[in-house]
Amino acid sequence: MHWRPLCLLVLGLFPSFAQTTSPHEQFDEELVVKSFQDGRVASTFTFKTLLTDASPRDPRTLALEDDEPQHYTLFPLTLGQLLRQYAITELHLTLNAGKWKYDSWGYPEAAGVGTGAELYAWLADGAPSSIDERWQGLRNALAGLFCASLGSLDEQRTTSPHLSFPPEGLLPDWDGLQHEIRHASHASEHVCTENLTPFLKLLPCKSLSGLASLLNPHRMFDADWHGIGLHVLWRPEGVEVRLNFQMVSDPLRPSGKKQDWSFRSLYDRSVDRACPVAKTSRTIVTLPDAVYSITPEPSAIESGKALYDLKNKSPNESFDMKLEWGSDFVYPQASLTSPLVPFTVQRKLHGPTQDRGQLALVLKNHEPHAIRVSYLETMPWLLQFYLHTIRIEVDGTRRDDLISNISYVLPVPHSRPATFHCILTLPGHSTVTYTIDVTKAFLMYTEHPPDAQRGWDLPPAVFVLLASSSEEGYTRSMGGVQEGSRVYTPSLLVDLATPDFSMPYNVIIFTCSVVAFIFGSIFNLLTRKFVVVRLDG
Amino acid sequence: MNVATDNLRDPSTLFFQYDKIRRSIIASYWLIIFLALPLWWNTTSIERLPLPSPNVYAQQERELRFPIKIALDPAFGNIAPSVESELRNVVWQTRQGPALDISVGVGNEADSSDDTYVVLPGETDIVLDGRRMKIPKDHIEPSKLAQILSSLIFPYSPKQEHRVAQYSPRFRLAFTLLNEDASAGQTVVGWDILGAIDRHISPITSAVSILHNFTIESQVQFHAPLAFEPTALEDGTFGLTPEDLTIFVNSAEWTLSSSSSNDPVLHFVLFVPSISRRPLSILNNDGTPSTSNAFLIPQWGGIVLCNLPSASDEKWLSNMDLASPFSAFSHQLSTLLGIPKLPPGIKTSPQNSLLTSWQIDALLRHRMHETVRRTKDTLLSTVNLVQQIPNMPVDEKAQNDVQGALVALDAVWDSEGGKKFNLTDMLGNSARALTFSQRAFFHPGMLALLYFPAEHKYAVYTPLFASAVIPLVAAAIRELLAWRRQRRDANRRDG
Repeated sequence: MHWRPLCLLVLGLFPSFAQTTSPHEQFDEELVVKSFQDGRVASTFTFKTLLTDASPRDPRTLALEDDEPQHYTLFPLTLGQLLRQYAITELHLTLNAGKWKYDSWGYPEAAGVGTGAELYAWLADGAPSSIDERWQGLRNALAGLFCASLGSLDEQRTTSPHLSFPPEGLLPDWDGLQHEIRHASHASEHVCTENLTPFLKLLPCKSLSGLASLLNPHRMFDADWHGIGLHVLWRPEGVEVRLNFQMVSDPLRPSGKKQDWSFRSLYDRSVDRACPVAKTSRTIVTLPDAVYSITPEPSAIESGKALYDLKNKSPNESFDMKLEWGSDFVYPQASLTSPLVPFTVQRKLHGPTQDRGQLALVLKNHEPHAIRVSYLETMPWLLQFYLHTIRIEVDGTRRDDLISNISYVLPVPHSRPATFHCILTLPGHSTVTYTIDVTKAFLMYTEHPPDAQRGWDLPPAVFVLLASSSEEGYTRSMGGVQEGSRVYTPSLLVDLATPDFSMPYNVIIFTCSVVAFIFGSIFNLLTRKFVVVRLDG
Repeated sequence: MNVATDNLRDPSTLFFQYDKIRRSIIASYWLIIFLALPLWWNTTSIERLPLPSPNVYAQQERELRFPIKIALDPAFGNIAPSVESELRNVVWQTRQGPALDISVGVGNEADSSDDTYVVLPGETDIVLDGRRMKIPKDHIEPSKLAQILSSLIFPYSPKQEHRVAQYSPRFRLAFTLLNEDASAGQTVVGWDILGAIDRHISPITSAVSILHNFTIESQVQFHAPLAFEPTALEDGTFGLTPEDLTIFVNSAEWTLSSSSSNDPVLHFVLFVPSISRRPLSILNNDGTPSTSNAFLIPQWGGIVLCNLPSASDEKWLSNMDLASPFSAFSHQLSTLLGIPKLPPGIKTSPQNSLLTSWQIDALLRHRMHETVRRTKDTLLSTVNLVQQIPNMPVDEKAQNDVQGALVALDAVWDSEGGKKFNLTDMLGNSARALTFSQRAFFHPGMLALLYFPAEHKYAVYTPLFASAVIPLVAAAIRELLAWRRQRRDANRRDG
């Protein structure tokens, strides 16, 4: 008879124990606002959902009947289904518009800032369907989920650059199954409202409460630079989904003089209601060196950063913050400011003809000591390299010793892009020029896209700063820039030989006329009847 | 001058000016054209493999008939013939669903086969146990017994049929907990979905596991606005009019759909109204609040309104809280799956599972009737469509699928006629037939050349053909005329 009251007690306790948000899922949101030298303001929204104690699906289980139920509270179900169906271990998708200016903006909060769409995934073999089939399914599913033309990231754009895109999280060990990476980018894909709407639907609070309510598409897509990102990775704690939105807006544009900003001026919204299920909801503002005033009073200031916790907000007040400068904005002199990044890259395509050209890189090392960078080109077969023409010059003298560890996967015309990877050493305070001759492909008539005269967008090159033994104080001097952060160059546009698209019909008509003329003459000659006409009977 | 002229040979004596040679040149041109025609036809025509249309039409004539054997205990021996005629009468009157061949006999349970329904005398209540029914022997009339038997053997009404989801070998059950506005307060942050499914849903899914497989998924949403304003009632509560129910599901804002597979989804939505709109009830046609807080959307799923009593700020729905919504869900699920309810007053024996063999058999017969009818319809549509659109290609895959559907249908007919009458096998065959027929109908290869415009062909062909064929035709006509004139002249000369 003892167990009965005990049982009731347990039953009574259980709901109160579980009163807090589901113990297996956790949602955190964060907004980081930072002012740049050139007066622009970068806002980075990060929405993180952690599914604790979960692990990616073993691809070998794809062979089995899929009856396992899926129950989620905060984790987006649509995404969970997709990851499960294709057994994806790690996934990164970014859709950006604009050119990230590393020189004046420094490194971004979220590294994936390449122009256009970029998708890469780590997935293991061992499933009944091959990695490439699953990669294709993933592409199409994400294309449907985000209303983006990711389906065009086909085998003509897919590469496996495992060195430049190492897994961000962990790769599970399934009896030594090999993990592989698939990467594709499409520079001419643009991000717009139709991509943001499905993105917001993946958030537990959508855009109706919490920090996500600041995501106003009118302002987002008006910004100088904007991009969305989806990252799925596995950590020892569980599977993490990180959705981020980055934008760089220009407060000087409307006012012209002062770089003051507020949530109202940047997003035309304020946070009226906190997201009830967010565990943390923080806003971090990097404070300027000049005279400023910030309202409301931050809850804490740590190493030049003001912190706000939106969970403490009283329910009826709307949260809007404002940063005001004491003086008008003066554009900084380029020569006086110290560079924000250890090295800068320019990438250009030279050559006036439509069949040959030269790809040129200009790399500037701002550091006093030599640095090593890894350089990756995932070039569609439209442009083919002549590796023997690589020339590296430092201040006019040829230095071929600066390039090492070249790996090159040949392109296959009409099907596979080239992957070119190497390591470049940049001597301290120097400008390195790298050139390579390229040949431009001659496309088949049907391979041209609509508006073929515009040219083809080439994906950005990716540079990764590598650790080198010689510099101890390096990370300190660079203000916390870690090794391994990726640098994307702007995309290029290549002008290929384009046919006159009315040509096939002209050719048909012309050839037919010639054939008909020859046929007619010969036929006439063969069947003509000659008669002698006597003129004088 | 004359000498020179006389020295000229008559051109018609030159060998290449012989009429015969010229005519054979022209004829050989035409011969080549005629020989090339089949080649041209072959290379430019669309691949259209023949579909077994006569078989498809023949299938339309056939109808599934189920033999139903009922054995009455010798105790009921005297009323057996009248029960049979009454039963036939009732079944004939309803004229719904599959055709049934009913035979009522008298016999002991021991000498009847497995698939015979046995009626035994019992005590006070009507009790079902397996395919046996125990019925109190006293004052049972033939019409009453026939009524009971028919409601067990074919329990479907046309009204119900619209609600039942179309047959599919696999269903996805999507449970969604929707907070209309979580930020307004009293958020439901989670639910004991595993326990609730275990308690209320799994018994049903395992009972019908011979018909369907199920994939279960659940999610919680914290912002699910309605697309309309519920009616405010005088007593401060809110109501949904019957018109509101038709537009209740806000597909634009609620992300309910599963994107990852083609299996049909049955949605079950637990809707928690915003704190400012509680309690929310369903109104009857006359505007009075209904006692029920659940409603069913035919073939789509069910919705239950969850009006929480004012409580703490965050709430986690425990098993007890979910008991009433999930019993509504389980009821909705059995309606959507077409599981027949037992008529009132009939009990099941305690050792039985949730569903008796009577119910499972009725469901199997109903589903089989449905799949066979849908297969026949789909096959007929495919054949008609292919006939109607001459540009539609039919490749080997589509042809094989149509044939596969016919083979599977034949297997259904065979097992119907054969000695071994197994409803589950038959359903497997008919489900396969349906899958084949639908794959044939939606075969992507059939779209390939559907919209290739004929104008393009003419634009390509005419510049060559017109200019080459006109001299050929002209030469042929001229030669024909010349030949006729020659013959006429020859005739006249002879005459």
